[in-house]
Formats: sequence, structure tokens, C-alpha cells
Amino acid sequence: MVRLVLALLVALVAARAEDKPSEYVGSDACKTCHADVWFNFYKNPHYKSLASGKESPDRTGCEGCHGPGGAHVAAHGGKATIRAFSVMSPRETVDTCLACHGKDLSRANIRRSQHTLADVVCSNCHSIHKSAVPKFLLARKQSELCYQCHASVRAQFSMPVKHRVNEGFMQCTDCHNPHGAFATTWKDGLKPRLVDQAQINEEPCLKCHTDKRGPFAFEHASVRVEGCETCHYPHGSMNARLLHRPAVFTLCLECHNGAGTFGRENNGEIRLSPAHNLLDPRFRQCTACHVRIHGSNADPTFLR
Amino acid sequence: MNRLFLTLALVLASTLCAQQPVAPTPEPVGPARGDNVSEYNIVNSFETGYRFSSIDGNEGKYRSDVNYGNGLRLLASNFTINSRDGRGRFFDEIVLTTLGLGNDPYESAVLRVQKNGLYRYDMQWRLDDYYNPALTISQGQHLYDTSRRLQDHDLTLFPQAKIRFRVGYSRNSQTGPALNTTNVFDITGDVFPLFTNVRRLDNEYRLGGDLDIAGIKITWLHRWEDFKEDTPFAFNGPSGGNNPTDLTTLSSFQRTAPYHGTTPGWLANLHTDRKKWAANGRFTYAGGRRDYILDETAIGTNSIGLNQSRQIVVGGDASRPVTTGDLSVTVLPTQRLSIVNNSSLYDTRITGNSEYLEYDPASATTSILFFNFLGMRAITNSTAANFRASKRLTFRGGYQYSDRLIRSNEYLNILPDGPESIVAEQTNHTRSGLLGVRWQPIQPLTVNLDAEISRADRPFYPISDRNYHALSGRIQYRKKSLLLSTGYRENYNNNSIQITAYSSRARSYFADASWTARSWMAFDASYSRLHLDTIGGLAFFTSSSLAQLDQTQSVYISNIHAGNLGVRFVLRKLADLYTGYSITRDVGDGRSAPSSVVTDPVSGFLMPVQTFPLSFQSPLARVSIKINNRLRWNAGWQYYRYREDFGLITINQNYRAQTGYTSLLWSF
Repeated sequence: MVRLVLALLVALVAARAEDKPSEYVGSDACKTCHADVWFNFYKNPHYKSLASGKESPDRTGCEGCHGPGGAHVAAHGGKATIRAFSVMSPRETVDTCLACHGKDLSRANIRRSQHTLADVVCSNCHSIHKSAVPKFLLARKQSELCYQCHASVRAQFSMPVKHRVNEGFMQCTDCHNPHGAFATTWKDGLKPRLVDQAQINEEPCLKCHTDKRGPFAFEHASVRVEGCETCHYPHGSMNARLLHRPAVFTLCLECHNGAGTFGRENNGEIRLSPAHNLLDPRFRQCTACHVRIHGSNADPTFLR
Repeated sequence: MNRLFLTLALVLASTLCAQQPVAPTPEPVGPARGDNVSEYNIVNSFETGYRFSSIDGNEGKYRSDVNYGNGLRLLASNFTINSRDGRGRFFDEIVLTTLGLGNDPYESAVLRVQKNGLYRYDMQWRLDDYYNPALTISQGQHLYDTSRRLQDHDLTLFPQAKIRFRVGYSRNSQTGPALNTTNVFDITGDVFPLFTNVRRLDNEYRLGGDLDIAGIKITWLHRWEDFKEDTPFAFNGPSGGNNPTDLTTLSSFQRTAPYHGTTPGWLANLHTDRKKWAANGRFTYAGGRRDYILDETAIGTNSIGLNQSRQIVVGGDASRPVTTGDLSVTVLPTQRLSIVNNSSLYDTRITGNSEYLEYDPASATTSILFFNFLGMRAITNSTAANFRASKRLTFRGGYQYSDRLIRSNEYLNILPDGPESIVAEQTNHTRSGLLGVRWQPIQPLTVNLDAEISRADRPFYPISDRNYHALSGRIQYRKKSLLLSTGYRENYNNNSIQITAYSSRARSYFADASWTARSWMAFDASYSRLHLDTIGGLAFFTSSSLAQLDQTQSVYISNIHAGNLGVRFVLRKLADLYTGYSITRDVGDGRSAPSSVVTDPVSGFLMPVQTFPLSFQSPLARVSIKINNRLRWNAGWQYYRYREDFGLITINQNYRAQTGYTSLLWSF
């Protein structure tokens, strides 16, 4: 009986000794083996935590992300003795990064981001020690990073009419927030996703195309209610001005066909006037007369 | 070490890049780790060269699609300076990158300057030379040849502290010549071209801050936006208009239509992220307002050939207050499960007064007062969950419900008939569900499957999403320098309403491969097919005298094949060779020429627009020779070919363009 109690006590002490938390040893200890990482680390934004000298050990240098290194040093390395991102679960990765990066408004929706829910997390896009670009520590140039998964979007940017992403004038993040966005104020349902919003929670198109923003005395209601992509493709198109259709009148008439959805005539969209004989070519280019199609201050039919 | 950097550079430069313009050169120059100067480290590279282009065919379309011209350029530059101990006196880091300076159509400069703990300043400046002939839209009469300049400045004080302050400024201007059209005397009258000198300006000022208290992050931001347009319109003299059979003529025309407005806005956000839960709440308010006036005088003859003059004066204002609120609550009960619920409210009321005065000597003065109102209120609630069943298997799902109310009121007071008010109201409920799985059977292989379905009971317009579903799947294999992926996605929508039905089916397939076979050789290839077919109901008139209403279908078929191939070689660490080829081809419904003889006039004008087969291809080749560690010589050629199998409205936009450059890439 005594032997049994002693054995239990020894086992308990041993277990407690194993549970003893690893201790912080400081980033200097890491230099010895990880010289290649350390050599350029002063260029890394995370170096700020070391330079300031004011952060607590759990938020400083290597151990700020990788956790206390005491056990790792004692074991002469190994992924089991330290917080290694390569073996972390996606959720652990997000938790670790948000410990510091959660304070930014741009990441306020990261928990409900479609990327996070699909297990696409920080380390999938950011490379802390081997980044291709100094800003934001991206693993690759931004558009190439996004194209890796969004191949159909890549094809759209290769079309003759497109926003200038491949040319370097724009970036995906001009319109999207990969960390998650607030609920859209246009459209219904789950689409679109990760779309960042312009100043007053409108579509990001209006960040640049401010002349389309209004407010107008006469709004083109479909633009305001369901957004620019009612008529335009945002990435690229085979048609002029990123339109859904090569000919303007088909685009317009698919809605303005008198169908009963909303409006003032027949409780439906305004139907083409009998005065517009579509066999006459001049009535096929609707915007030749309805020049203010995005909204007008002076004319309810967008003529001026 | 050099081999490591070479391999890294090769991998980075070759993986899944869509066909980029041939210049600037992506190869690095100079010591990868930079040079130490005093307490700082500097890494820099500058590429200066000459770009050339030669266009055969429709130059307007080339300028709309590509737009690279001739001349000397600072094609690209990168400059980084870092404090080696993170305690610089005035700054710890400066990062400056530029692109296309010196007259490329797409220019940019991005600057970041920061000192740890004290400030961070970000600047982005961009210029886009936008040229669009709008040939298929308005036969070239809505041409744009403008420049858009964008700049953003953001200064954050104490960026690592618990109390932070932010100041920002953005400016967006669009200037340049353009064409426009106007319709005069009556709505079926002829259309006349106008010249406009576009002048639009938008300024935004921001002031805000962040506060961290007991783990709660509070953000506030106040914005002011001022915008205006004072584009002048000019008429180039007497004209018979676009339609020679129409008797309308214009001998004199003048229009002035300036507007200006402001959009002040507030944002407040509270956010906390704890071990077992997180919450995020946001409130925003913005009150947009604009004032405008239009003064227009037209003299000529009307559609029956009688002399007519008309003066129109319109004045008024429009406002749009927008309020939004969001609340997200995340529960993290275990390491395997996360559940997020989000509720959002959006409310806006767009109102406008527009007083229309028309003086026609024949009919005396007409005065119309328009008042328009468009209101939208949307309430949305969504729940999403992610469950990690095992290390290699994750399930996700979600449900969203939204309730949207749209109201409008069109008020017309036409003297002497009296007021008329037309009120409309509609409520739409949308229910959407999402299911997904991520499976990693072996370490390098990932399989993603998603399904989404949505139902709306009162879509806003005939082509809105109503009965909608999306399916997608993606398989990716990634091991060391090899990346293979393939996938499929479909979006189907069916919107059957009172008298028409709309059906849209979009399917896309893709396959990508990227492989860095050796430290001196890399491949990248991709293929995508994007299919779209839509059928919608059309109702239109085909005889102005008899007002004959035709009801038929709008059919549109697009089958786009997009391919991209790139190969990169490094020869003896001295020369980099890159060759690439990109093609995007829409085969439409299979026709390569306009339809054969169609006797029905309605079919005759609908059939040519049901499909728009064309191809756009661009081979390129580039060589970069290392002269020494700090200097490279580069040269490249890129060919563009745009070909329509048959043009719309008989306009041929085809072109071929030879472009290229030669440059020196250097580091000091």
C-alpha cells in the first residue's frame, strides 16, 4: 500500500514537472539556430515589439508569436516544443495573430469572414519571414496570391475590357477586404462576399467613380437597390464598358419589359414607349438619348 | 544563399501570374539584403527605359484595351530604407514603390514612412489615362479621353499605443475631353453630338481615433466629402443630327449644368475578441446632399420641320441620409467549433426636388415640379458555423434571412393640370443557405466543396436573383514548387414573374499548373472556360405608327475559353528569358459569321446581338541580361491582337499592336 501511494506521488510530481510551462528566454536565444530569419528580422514589422523594449515577453519578438521558447531551447528544437504555425490548426493561427492584430477595424469581421469560415487564414496569404513584398508581408504579389484560388477571376482580368489589376494600377483590396466585410447594403442573400464598402456603405465602385454616387433627384432605382453589377461585370468583360451584353438595348429591355416587379406603370418596370420603334436603328442605343443613365438631377427619364 | 534567392525569385515570379504587361521587368537587381549605410539598410532598384508601340487597325479600341504608347519611362522603382535597430531618429522605415512614371497610361506611387510607436504615414497616388471610344454603345459619340487622378494620405499617430489618432485626406479628380449627345425638342427627336470638357473633383477629409479599454477596441471616424462637377458643354455649330431622315435640326445650343455637394459621415465601432467569444458592433451615419442647376437653350427646327426654340431651366437639390448598424457575436465553445451570428440594419431615404421650367415661344412657359423619393430599409440576420471534425476535415454551414422594404413616391405638379403622386412599395424576403466542406486527405492535397441556395419572394427587377443556386468545387495539390489545381463553379438563377421569365446559367471550369522544375526553369499554365447563357423576356414596339407590341425572348450565349502559358529560364545566372502566351476567346453560340438570311425583321435585329464571338490574344517575350550585380539590361516584345468574328452595328474594332521596351534596371 505504501509503495502504491509512493508510486502515485512520484507519478503526480513527474506529471506536474512535465506540465511546468515553458519559460520565456528572449529572442537572443533564437539567433543561434535561426540566423537566417534573424538576419533580416529588423526589416520585419514585428521587430517593433523588440525595438520598443516596453512590451511584455509574451508580446515581444519571436516569442510574441511562437510562445515561450524555454522548452524548445532545452530540447534543441522541434515543432512539438514551440508554437509552430506549420502544424497549427487554422483557428489557432487566427487566435495567435488576432492577439495583436485584432485591434484594427479592417479585421473586425475576421471571425465571420468567408475566408476564415473556409479555413483560409492568415498564414495562407502572409509569409512572415519570406514575404515577397515588404508591405503587409504578403507571400506573393497581391493579385497572384488571389489568383491562386480565384482562377475564374484571373481569366476575367485577361479579357480585353477590364479593370487594370494586371497593369498594377489597381489591387484586389481596392474593392475587397480579404479579412471580412460588413453586410452589404445592396443585393440580398449571401452574395457578394468580402466586398469592401465605399464611404457610405455603398459598393466599392463608388470609391473611384464618385460621379455615379449621387444623391440624384432622379435615381436609377436598380443601381441603388441592387448595385452596379446589375449591368456591369466588376472584373472584366468581352463587352465595352464592362457591360453584361454587347448591345445596350438588350441590357435595358431585359428589365424594361413591363414585367410586374416595381414601379409606376402596370406595377412593373417602365416599358418601352410606343414612340420607340426598335426597328429604327436610332432607338437601339438607349444611352444616346438617356445619357444620365446612372441618375439625373434634371430629368426623370435621364435625358439630361 | 544566392541559389536560395534565385529559386525564391523564380518561384515568386512564375506562380500563377496572369499575363502581365511585358514591362516592367520583374527580375531583382542589387544585393538582396541591401546595403548598410550608417544605422540604416537600403534596398533599391530603378528601371528606366523606352517603351514603343505600333498599332495597325482600330487605334481607339487599342487605346481602350491596352493604351501603352511610346516614350521614355521610369518603368518601375523600389526603394526601402530600414533602421537596423528600430530606433531611428525621425523614421524607422521608408518604403517607396512607383510604376510607369513619365507618361505610361497607368502610373502609381506608394509611400510608407513610419517611426515605431510614434507615427505611420501612408500615401498612394495613381493616375489612369482612360480612353474609351464607345463605338458599340453610341457610335463613338460618348468617347472619353480623360485622366483620373487618385491620391490617399493617411497619418496614424501612436500606431502601437492604446490610444491612436488618425488623420486622412483623399482626392479624386477626372479631367479631359469627351463627347456626349443630347436630344432636343421632343423625346423622339433627333440626337446631336456635344463636346464636353470633363471637370469632376472629389475631396474627402477624415479624422478619427482608436481606444483600447479593458480589451474593448473603440474606433471612431468623422469624414467630410466635398464634390463638384462643372463640366462645360459646347455645340460645334448647325447640325442636322444623327438621323438624316429626321427633320429636326439644331442651329444653336448652350448648356450649363454644374452641381456641388457634400457628404459628412460618422462611424463608430466597438470590437472585442476574447478566448471563448468575440463581438463587433458598428454604427454609421452619412448625410449626402447636392445642389444643382441646369440652363439649356436650343434653337432649330422640330421633327416636322417647323422653327422651334426652347429654354429649359432646372434647379433643385437632392439628399440621401444613410444609417447602418451591425452587430456580430462569435461564440467559440471549443477549439473545433465557431459560430457567428450577425444582424445588420440599413436605412436610406433619397429625396429630391427638381423644378423644371421650360419656355417655348409657341406654347408659352411650362412649369413642372418634380419630387422624388426612394427609400430602402433592409434588415439581415445571418448565422455561420465552422466545425473542425478532425485535423483534415472541416464542415461549414450558414443561413441568412433578409427583409428588404423599398418605397418610392414620384410627385409631379404640372401646371395647370395639378399634382399627381405615384406611390409604390415592395417587400422582399430572401432566405439563403450555405454548406461546405474542406477535406485534406493527404498533406499537400486540399478539396473544397460548397453549395449555396437562395430564394427571394419578391425580387426587385426581372433579372434579379430569385431562385438561385451555386455549386463549387476546387481541388488543389501543392508540394514544394509544384502547384496543381482544378475546379468548377456554377451559378444558376431563375426569375419567373408575372409576364416574363428570366433564366441565367453560368458555369466556369478551370485548371492551373505551376512548377519550378529547377532553379533555372519554371512553368505556369492555366485554362479556364466561362460559360453563360441567359434567356429573358422582351417586350418592345416595332412600329411607331401602329404601336405594335412584340413579345419575344432575349437570348444571349457566351462561351469564353481563356488560356495562359508562361515559361521562364535562367541561363548561367546571367540571363533571364521569359516567354508567355495568353488568349481569351469567346466562341459565342458557335457562329463565326452573322446569321444567314432571316426574313423576319424582329429576328433580324435580335440575332446579331445574341452572341458576340471574338478573340483577344497576346504573346510576349522578354530577356534580362545581368551586366553586373547592380545593373541589368532588359528588352521585351508583346503583341496584341483583337479580332471580332462579326461586329456589332457593322463597326469593325479589330486591331493588331506591336509593343515593347528596352530598359536598364539598376541599383545604387
